[in-house]
Formats: sequence, C-alpha cells, structure tokens
Amino acid sequence: MTNHWNDIQHADVVLIMGSNAAENHPISFKWVNEARAKRGAKLITVDPRFTRTSAVSDITARLRSGTDIAFMGGMINYAIEKNRINWDYVRDYTDGTYLVNPDFRGPVDLDGLYSGLDGSKYDKATWSYQVDEAGLPKRDLTMQDPNCVFQLLKKHYARYTVKKVCGLTGTDPKDFEAVCDTFTSTYLPEKSGTVMYAMGTTQHTYGSQNVRAFAVMQLLLGNIGVAGGGINALRGESNVQGSTDHGALFHILTGYLKTPNAKQPNLVKYNEDNTPKSNDPQSLNWWGNTPKYMASLLKAWWRDADLETAYSYMPKLDAGKNYSYLPIWSEMAKGKIKGMFVWGMNPAVGAPSSRMVRRALAKLDWMVAVDLWETETSAFWQTDAGVDPSTINTEVFLLPAAASMEKEGSVSNSGRWAQWRYKAVNAPGHAEDDLWIMNQLVNLTKDLYKKEGGAFPDPILNLTWNYGPVGLDGKVHNPSPREVAKEINGYFVTDKEIEDKVTGEVKKFKAGDMVPGFPLLQDDGSTCCGCWVYCNSVDDKENKMMKRDTSDPTGLGFYHNWSWAWPMNRRVVYNRASVDAEGKPFAKDKPVIWWSGLKKAWLGDVPDGGGGPGAKHPFIMVPHGRGMLFAAGMTDGPFPEHYEPLESQVKNTMSASQVNPALARWDKKVKEEVCDPMLVEGCAAVTYGSEFAKDFPIICSTYRVVEHWQTGQMTRWIPWLTELVPDQFVELSEELAKEKGIMSGDLLRITSVRNLEGITAYAYVTKRLKPFNINGKTIHQVGMTWHFGYKGLVTGGNANDLTPFIGDSNTMIPEYKAFLVNIERVRR
Amino acid sequence: MSSNMREGMVYVTTADERIVHWLLAGSCLFALFTGLGLMFHSFTFIPAMLGGHYAMKWMHIFSGVVFSFSLLAASIFWWKHVKFVPDDVKWVQQAGGYLWEAHNLPPAGMYNAGQKMFFWAVFIFGILIIATGIVMFDPTLFPVVVSRFAYMLHALAVVVIASFFVIHLYLGTFGNPGTVQIMFHGYATREYCEAHKGKWLAEKEGKGGEEA
Amino acid sequence: MAEFVKLIDVSKCTGCRGCQVACKNWNELPAEKTSFLGSRSLQNPPELSYNTWTLIRFDEVNSEDGKLKWVMRHDACLHCETPACAKACPSPGALVKTAEGAVVHDPKYCIGCKACISACPFNIPRNSAAEEKMAKCSLCYDRITNGKKPACVTACPTGCLDFGYKDDMIAKAHKKAEASKGAIYPDNHSYGTNVLYVMPAGVKLTDLQNVNPKPGMPTTILWWKNLFKPFTLIGMGAVAGFAALHYFIKGPHLVEKKKEGGE
Repeated sequence: MTNHWNDIQHADVVLIMGSNAAENHPISFKWVNEARAKRGAKLITVDPRFTRTSAVSDITARLRSGTDIAFMGGMINYAIEKNRINWDYVRDYTDGTYLVNPDFRGPVDLDGLYSGLDGSKYDKATWSYQVDEAGLPKRDLTMQDPNCVFQLLKKHYARYTVKKVCGLTGTDPKDFEAVCDTFTSTYLPEKSGTVMYAMGTTQHTYGSQNVRAFAVMQLLLGNIGVAGGGINALRGESNVQGSTDHGALFHILTGYLKTPNAKQPNLVKYNEDNTPKSNDPQSLNWWGNTPKYMASLLKAWWRDADLETAYSYMPKLDAGKNYSYLPIWSEMAKGKIKGMFVWGMNPAVGAPSSRMVRRALAKLDWMVAVDLWETETSAFWQTDAGVDPSTINTEVFLLPAAASMEKEGSVSNSGRWAQWRYKAVNAPGHAEDDLWIMNQLVNLTKDLYKKEGGAFPDPILNLTWNYGPVGLDGKVHNPSPREVAKEINGYFVTDKEIEDKVTGEVKKFKAGDMVPGFPLLQDDGSTCCGCWVYCNSVDDKENKMMKRDTSDPTGLGFYHNWSWAWPMNRRVVYNRASVDAEGKPFAKDKPVIWWSGLKKAWLGDVPDGGGGPGAKHPFIMVPHGRGMLFAAGMTDGPFPEHYEPLESQVKNTMSASQVNPALARWDKKVKEEVCDPMLVEGCAAVTYGSEFAKDFPIICSTYRVVEHWQTGQMTRWIPWLTELVPDQFVELSEELAKEKGIMSGDLLRITSVRNLEGITAYAYVTKRLKPFNINGKTIHQVGMTWHFGYKGLVTGGNANDLTPFIGDSNTMIPEYKAFLVNIERVRR
Repeated sequence: MSSNMREGMVYVTTADERIVHWLLAGSCLFALFTGLGLMFHSFTFIPAMLGGHYAMKWMHIFSGVVFSFSLLAASIFWWKHVKFVPDDVKWVQQAGGYLWEAHNLPPAGMYNAGQKMFFWAVFIFGILIIATGIVMFDPTLFPVVVSRFAYMLHALAVVVIASFFVIHLYLGTFGNPGTVQIMFHGYATREYCEAHKGKWLAEKEGKGGEEA
Repeated sequence: MAEFVKLIDVSKCTGCRGCQVACKNWNELPAEKTSFLGSRSLQNPPELSYNTWTLIRFDEVNSEDGKLKWVMRHDACLHCETPACAKACPSPGALVKTAEGAVVHDPKYCIGCKACISACPFNIPRNSAAEEKMAKCSLCYDRITNGKKPACVTACPTGCLDFGYKDDMIAKAHKKAEASKGAIYPDNHSYGTNVLYVMPAGVKLTDLQNVNPKPGMPTTILWWKNLFKPFTLIGMGAVAGFAALHYFIKGPHLVEKKKEGGE
C-alpha cells in the first residue's frame, strides 16, 4: 500500500477492483465505512461476480475476468476526453512532459505490440526518454509535443472507446460510465480517490500491467501521495508484506535489493549494475544509495569478512534464469531438484496445476515440511492424495511449528506497519517457533561443514549468527527475535564519525550503536543492516515496533507512535506529491504534510526525502524523481495494453495480438523440450481458437471466502470455521444452470484441459453471477474457492487441480483468475 | 344370589368402572395440581412439594397420559349411558331440582342430564386438553400458529374442566349424600337409585335379572 | 443499571460472520457438522440452533429499483421489552428480562418444555432434545454487566453492529434510517425490543428470511396468560363458592326414605 489502512477514511471515492475486500480484508471496511459516513465517499466495486463487497457498494460494475486493462484503459480515455486531469500534478510530478525516443512505437502503430519485440522478449532500446546535454530528460511543459509521454498516452488510450471496452469486458455501458464519472471526479486537487486491489488484479498473465493501469489513472488524477489516495495492494495474508520486505523471493534480497547474478562477480560490478544515476540535483534518486545498503547487508550476514569476500559468499543467480514459483515445479518435475523445505506453504493445493505439482513432489529425495498440521503437501504421498504410497520414495519430515500466537516477532501489514507481537501461549507438544527451528538447522549445518568440509564451507562457517546468548559449546541455543530485530535495523560495527552534509555537524557513533535511519548507513563496512527499509525501527532505547500509543495529534490518523512503518515511520509514501511547490497541501481538509514557514520544517507525516518545499521531486525511488506514466522497466510495454488471457473464448478486438507477447509460454516450451508426459499435460492450455476450445467453453476464476485462509491449511482444522463453509462449491449463474439443467446442490464435475478427470463440487446457483455479452456472444463465467484439499476436518475438490501453469510476464505470479473449464452434473 | 347383592342395596358400578373413575379423577386432579404449579409462578409450594419444575413437567406429562387412557376407557364404559334423551330437556329446564323446587322430574337413567353434561364437558375438553397437550409436548413439530393456539386452548380447557370438576366434587359428596360410595364399593341404596336412577333401575329389574 | 440497545445497520454488513464465530467463541458453543446442502448457499449452519445463537442470513433479493441486493442480516435474539418467551415460560428464573435490557436464559432453571419457542415473535429460541434445554443469545449478559460490549459487537469490523445506551442508540437508529432511507425494524410502537435494525433501503421485509413485519406479543399468549390463567382460579373459586352457598341455602339433596310409605 502506498497509503495505509486508516488512510482509506480520507478517500472521496473508493474503487475496489480485483479485490473482494469485504470478504478477504474485512477490517478495511471499518475505514471504507468511515469515509462514507464522514465524507460521503462513494464506493465502487468492479468484479466479475456480485460479491459481498458489491453487496455494500454504491456502484457496481461487472467485467469479464481478465479484462481489467480494457476497463481501466477506457477509464483513462474517459478522463482525457472529459478533461478530468489534474494538469498541474501531471506537469510537475509525472513524466507526462518528457519526450520519448522518436523511434518508439506502440500498439497503435504495431497492432498491439511495442517496438523491439524479439521472440517473446522486448529489446527496450527505444523505450527511453530523450535527454538534453545535461543528461536530464527533455520536457515539453505544454505537453503538446506528439512525442511527449502524455500525447503518446492519449493516442494509446484513444482506442479504448466505451463501445470497444464494454464489448470486451461485458460491462453494461451505463455502469461503466457511472464508474468512470464517479472515479474521475477525484481529479480536483482537493479530492482524492483510492484504489484497493488484490489478487484479482495481479494473478493474470499481465497482472503487473493491471497494476500499472491503476498507476497511470491515479497519476493523471493526482491521487498518489495524497491522503485518501494511492494504489493500495491488499496483501493476501497477515505478514506477506514482511516476507517481501525481507526478500523471500528469488529476484530480491532484503529491502528490495536485487539478487546478484553470475555476471556480477564482484561487489564493484554489482554496484555498477544496480546503482541508477541521475544528473538532476532535484532528484533524490534513492536507489543511488544501493552500495550503502548492500554493504550493510553483507556486514549483517558476514560480520568478520571484508565486503568483497562477503560478496563472494553470497549465492548468485544464473544470469537471466528465472527461479520463481512456476519453474520450481517444472524443474522438480524434470527431476532436477532433490530436496525441499516447505515452510508454512501448501503448494499441493496452492500451486497452479497442482495435480502436476503433487506428482512432481514425488521426484524429490527428501522434503522437510514445517507446519501447524499435516498439510496436503506433507501428505502428498498418502492414499488420501489418491496415490499408492509404495510407489513414492520421497522421505518426508514434518516439523511441528508454533502458530502466530505461540511465538514472538514482528508482523508487517499491507500498510507497511511493522507491529510487534508477543507470545500468548506455549505451542503444544514439540511444536517450536520458526526461529528456533532455523537456529537448530544453522547449528547442525555448521557442525556438518566443520566436520566434513564440503565444497564451499566458508559462507556457512563464517555466517554471523548471534541472535542470543552463546552457550559453552559456542552456539546459540535460545535465539531471540528481539536480537534479530536489532540486526534488521542495523548497528555500527566500528566506531564512526559522520558529518552532516547540510549542517556540517559531526555525529559520533560507537560500535554497537543502533543506526538511527538508513541515510546513515555506510558503504565502507562500518554499519551492518539486515534490511535497509527497516532501519529506524529499533533505536538504542526501544524497539519501535512495540509502540502502542494511540494518540493522533493531527487527527489525520497517522498514529506515528503506534508501531512503526517503513520507511522511516512514514505513513503515506510519496507524500511530497500532496503539496504544491510552496509546501501547501492540495487538499486543505486532509493534508499529509505541510511546510511551516515559521518552524522551517515539514509538519504532519514524515516527509519523503529532505529539503524544503519544491526542493526535491516527490517520487524519490524513481531515478528522475517523477511518477512514471511511461514505465520502461516493464517486460511487456511502457503503457498497459489489453490482451486476452492465455485461455480465452474471446478474440482480442483491441489488436491482432491475442495474448501478452512477452509471455513465457510453458505449454509450448515444455512440449518443445519433450518432457515427462505429466509435465506436458500439466502445462497444457486451451488457447483461443485451438482444437479443444469448444470442449472448455466456460471461464472459471478461483477466489477466497472470508471463512477460510488460502489453501485452508489452517482454517480447515478449525471446527468453528469449517461449519461455516464445509464444502467446495461452484458458483454459477441461473442462466447457465438452466442451460445445463443444474440445480443448487447438484454435485458437479469441473474439468480443464489439464485435468480431464476433473474435480467435484456442489453447484451454487446464484443471481450474483450473470452471463456476459461479449461483442454479441454469450460467455459464461463460474467461480470456485481454492480452499479445499484432502486433509483437515473438511475436504473437497481442489480448484488448483484445474488452473493453468502460466504466469505474469513480469513477476511470474500464476494466472489463477481466468482459465477455461467445462462443467457437468454428476448427480442430483 | 349374587355375591354382589346386599340387603337393600343396588349394585351400580363394576370394579372396572370404579378403577377407571378414580384413575380419571386422580390423573385429572394431579395434572391440574402440577399444571397449576407450572402456570402460577407464585404457587411455590407445588414445585417445592414435587421436587421442582423439571420433575413437575414430567409428572404433568405422565398424568396427562394416564388421563388420556382413563378417559378413553371411561368413555367406552359410559358411552351407552350418556346419550341424551328427550326427558333430559325437562331435567335441564328445571335444573335438576337443585336450584328451585322441581315438579315431575322425569326419572333418570343411569345418569341424569347434569351428569351427562359433566361427562360431555370432560370428554370434549378432555380431548382438547389431550390434543393440545400432544402439541405442547413438542411444539416445534407443528406450525407455529397451531402451537400457539394449542397453548391457549389448553388453558381454556383447564378453566372448563377445573370448574366442572369442582361442581362434580360437590354434587358427588356434600350435595348428594350417598353418591360417593357408589364409586367406592359400587353400592347405592335402593331409595337412592329410585330417586336418581329410576329409569335405569326399572329397566335393570324389568329385565328380570338381579345381576347387574 | 443503565438499559442498553444493540443496533444493527444491515446495509453495512459484509457477511464476514465474525459475529457468528465470536458468539460461539465467547459462549463456548461447539461447532456443528454442516454441509453445503444445508442451505445451498453460504448460510451455514443453515439455521439457528441450540449451539448457534447468532446467524448471518443471506438473501438474494431484487430491490424496488430492480437491482440485485444481497442482504446479509445478523439474526439473533431481539431482547423484547416484554418478552413473550418469558411470559410463556413455566419455570421461574429460566427466562428473565434484566434491567440492562437483556432477556437472559438460565439453563439451571430451564425445564426444556419448549413453550418459549413457539411464543417468540421472532422465531429465535432453539432447544436441544438431548440436553432438554433451550438456548439463545443472552446479549452477552456476562460481558455487558462487566463493562464490555457483546462479543458479536466487539468482533464486527465494519461498524454494522453497535451497542450502547438505549436512548443514544434509538437516536442513532433514527439518524441512520433517515440518512439511508431504510426502515427501522422492528417497527411497532407498542412492542419494543432492545435490539434494533436499520434495514437497507428498497428491500421488502417479506423478501427476507425470519423477519416478522408486524411483530408483537402473540394474541394467543395474551388470552392464555391474561384471561384463561386467572380464570382457572376464578372459575374454580366461583364454582366452589356457589356450591357452598347452595349447601348452606338448599342443603344436601336427600333421598326420601320410601320405607316409611311402605312398599
């Protein structure tokens, strides 16, 4: 979230799209309702289904699953046509004025493609700004130059007419215009609109571009950085924000530092590759600090090694190789992965094409599962899973783990608040907390390397592991999360004097002093820091994540003394975009920061970056400092463009490019590699117009209900929750039910090309789903939860046994939201 | 000579009838007693005597069951005696001579019109109280309208039966000396029978048999 | 002790069922074995029960403007001001209207007669055949008498459920109803409850499950308790008095000794 949960109360319009917030983020409705009660805010829901969120919305619009970009593109076009643009904001705070390389070509010119496509990858040479002699992007402040970003954007979205958009999305044009009219009304500087989105947005083959479409819209309306604005990702579980902050993904280390690859053999090269430069003195270009953060991270991991040695210890990726969620399974299926830790994960239910995933698990030599219960994953070899245990050679270890109430630590919510939680009760039996388990693993691994040597023992043997008192054997036995928190914040490892560049004041720090904030992290190895964005969370006196002060002196709901938010306890990021060049807030009744001429200081929230009003560009994480309408960093185009889902019954009428051209096509790749038949089957897809298209005419979406969590691995063991939703069901429209002779409660079989045996579920015939009229053709959509499997107090058909093995071209997040199935009645 | 024959006495009721009568009376009285305990929260002495409301609930239910079967048996025994005949009209017109001097009261059969009316009151409202009692045993099995009327009609039936019960008690004892023993040992004096059951006596003796 | 009211703003309910689980949690009620086939919708358990005192009812209805409304309604005891259940109850102490406004059931005194079930104008109480007891929402009497809100209200994330002093809540209900053009339910001046709903605008009450558009004390209970109940004693007493008078005035009906006349 650019903003935070409480901040939703300041919105004038709330757009919930790609999210069913009322169900999956129930607490958010406290603040949505606050905005409605206090500001008369309007709530808009755009969803293929009429959800529990729709039920409490002022305006609801339906769209066919996977047509978000068409919808948002239409809305952008509407805003431009009706002149609902915050012109000052676009001119000063976005790259709308920048001139783009004249060789750049977009979908308007290339029928759905961008210039530079080579196979399924773009050569982005032409996706660049024109620069002047000083190295700054060339600007046209009138935004009339046909090559300026705004004009290109306007030309791009001019194709997204109401007729064309609604023809693709299936939205009632009246509803569409109501949504556009209401949301774009926030272009006025004193108004703000927020976007709440979740996996309905991201889990598509162009999921990142869906989010980009929100970004473009919000920048045009001037809604980023302001109270009640922003683009707010509602994270899928309580601490998933913490997991990405702390680098639990292959392509990033902690604090979103890029993972080194094999083409970066030393730290110098790594820094060179990953430190963007800006010649604009007004641009803070925050990633210019990468060397400081990387050096501090290396020092956190290997305290006693010099920086280059430490860097040499760090594992490197094969350059260009993808190690994300999907390739793990395809590599495992090919027998290339021998062992696996499954730590609080349940891929046997949660992974796409999970039937294939379960078969792939059998290729492992060993698996260590750490969980509260025996999940479908750790039980993949049992008869419950439909396999013969005698045929499976994988050795599975199940380590019982403590639940969140049974251990201490921090949890980072979607609003970037890191909140400390204390242990409430002891874990049952031999269940232990994650840190304790990890500590044991580290101790034993170090012992093994010490005893046996191994190929490259140094990174393990020299790993700094000091999270608790050291026993007589030289090992830590009772690690404390509070010690981990200190290292995450970072401290000085040597005495250091630092001169403030502005005031000239010299600050003296002793070894062991906490680093007060990431501006003071050093690139010379004098500081260590486990995660730079969390620097400032712990000081010499206290762990700020433990703060529980409910005072709110500004009345704006910042609660600066309640827990701690990264970065630097800033509650609304990019908040310099909420004020004009004089430091005056655009919205007087809900300022985020404001400049006090008397005190010569910013008041309100913690401001983004230093300097007075107008001194710095607001988007400090972008090298040029302005919000990007034109994002060259994307793999699949600088402007979001509508493509159809990989599996679709609809021809793309926006261009001749049916699917995202930058898509990594597993279905093709696997066939070319002539792999294991199960991999070929598990990766199969029904593309538009293919021979199986008529067999799978119905769109299916997976989703969650409020009563269950993810794969149900925790909730399907809780009787009070299983009584609420005891069975898997398929939601379908009355029209489809009539067509197929189905009644509510009938047992249905749902099949996809990846699973011809299908799964079974009860029919839930409802008025809340309606067939879509797509350019005159009736298209049905059904939906089911992905909460069920074969373990737990209640069991049921696993929807992911049907989902396609395909991911977003930027992030590889799997496409769970739009795929093709067929349904038939098994029994009444 | 029958063993049922005593000097100057007429054998009026059989042992079966007497047993049924007392079962009916006893269960009715007990049901009334427990019912009053359930209906009037202020009658704390009743649950105190009977071991609380829960015990009383089941006592009430069981006395109801006994009442039901007794009423059935009694109806079978007395069915032939309780049909109204034209003479009953005269009896009713003169209120059986209980309230003012009556002249030419026609001789009654086994039971006079008043007694018949008492039977029919007990029979009709007894059926009502049993039927509603069944509903009340598990009101959740019936539509809520039916259940609600059941509770109301049960109470209405109590009003009727309880009042008739008092009349019956008075007329069977103080009001008509010589009556109650019929239900103890079966005998009434010949004079009593001539006065109260003249027609029945005549028929019985007219048949020639001395056996009852 | 001040009197409280629970206020339910139905249009704010997102059906998260936090209240339903919180109710079970606080009152330590066991889960039921349920199935999708119970209600063939999300409503589960399909009905209120001895172990389910709070239930979110899901109704898909077409509102007056023709648009689909998915009404999710928190259903539990409405805590009548003159509770029909308590009036029908034969066992003193089993159902008590407290000063705080709660109608509290005490299993210690409940004899399992089920009289309350059909008496209730809102179809709330449920019984257990095995336990021979009834059960229903008690407005968390143990919490509200200790300065806490009912568990359901505490759990509600959306502000749909509110709890406070009676006058404040009634004023709030009218304000909300005016703003949203929704109806206040129950709407009966002669029959008050300590739970009030503000229904969503444009939804007909008769389209919803378990809603009584004209709630009140059932007439049969008034006849039963206010007429027949006293008349049981009045009738018996009057008849007994009449019999005594008759005895004193007319004396017993003696049979003439016929022997005197000779036979």
